[in-house]
Amino acid sequence: MRADKIIKFTLQITGLILINKAGFYIVELFELRIPGNVLGMILLFVLLWTRVVRLEWFEGAADFLVRHLSFFFVPISVGLMTLGGLIAENGIQLAVILFISAIIGMVFAGGTSHMLIKRKGGKETGNSADDL
Amino acid sequence: MLAYFIARKAAGKYPSPLTSPVFLSTVIVIAVLLLLNIPYKKYEPASEIMTYFLGPATVALAVPLYRQRKVISAYAVPALTGLVAGIVSTIISAVFIAYLLNLSDLILVSLTIKSITIPVASEVARIIGADSILVAAFVMITGMLGAMTGPSLMNIMKIRDPFSRGLAIGTIAHGIGTAEAAREGELQGAVSGAAMGMAAIITSLFLPLILPVFL
Repeated sequence: MRADKIIKFTLQITGLILINKAGFYIVELFELRIPGNVLGMILLFVLLWTRVVRLEWFEGAADFLVRHLSFFFVPISVGLMTLGGLIAENGIQLAVILFISAIIGMVFAGGTSHMLIKRKGGKETGNSADDL
Repeated sequence: MLAYFIARKAAGKYPSPLTSPVFLSTVIVIAVLLLLNIPYKKYEPASEIMTYFLGPATVALAVPLYRQRKVISAYAVPALTGLVAGIVSTIISAVFIAYLLNLSDLILVSLTIKSITIPVASEVARIIGADSILVAAFVMITGMLGAMTGPSLMNIMKIRDPFSRGLAIGTIAHGIGTAEAAREGELQGAVSGAAMGMAAIITSLFLPLILPVFL
């Protein structure tokens, strides 16, 4: 059982890596200015939608990677230690910018969606959206 | 890697945005490197292996997106409008304030991708010529700010429908916000995760095309 799971997981990861590679390959081929991994994501979505591939083929590994997405921050943000000077110089300004723009973004995103949903149905989604 | 496991345990025990695994493990790794006097250069090979999985991790985002396809298509108009409104307003406000404060072009460019999930942000950073470390810092801080303020902000605005709450938090605060949204409820978490994926797609498709116009 255990070996089964490891093999399945490895296959699933390999599948995701291959789709990612395909995404980068297409970007290079057509000299697109979009990230290869995003194209890979769209590719997998389309493959799932058209039922060329099945959800079960990727599910386990995909859930694992998405759950631990924040893990990928670590190596990059460790690079922060090389940014000491900039933080000392503009740190507070940057913090203020990030704070204000995050608030504005959430107000607009949530507000717009909320307004449109209310206008559309007149009722809140509540729990009814669960069984969609 | 070990730091991440320790940090996840700690986050489970003391849930707060400050104990978010990313934040803690970054602090731990930096502390260890400084204490043992290891220069950042030596840590780079390890980080390259981890960054290798950024691609597959992005591709994996298609799975939550696919699972939520019914909710998304039922609310396609509010979802898309909300997403675009959130993305555009957050980018413009950030760049505008930075411009008023006379910050460098590199900072301005790096600010444009602060709201998308890290595996995509670092790839877009390469394309538009932003600083990948600066971007990572902005993304992380934005995620934590969004996760901390998002739910109470939605309460203040009296937005109670779980769809809009999840959408707002996921659009701006990507993965870190999604973890917070998921604590609120299953639907919030799911919508937030899907919003994070959509925001990454929309931003990365249009930003490299629009940006050259302004620079």
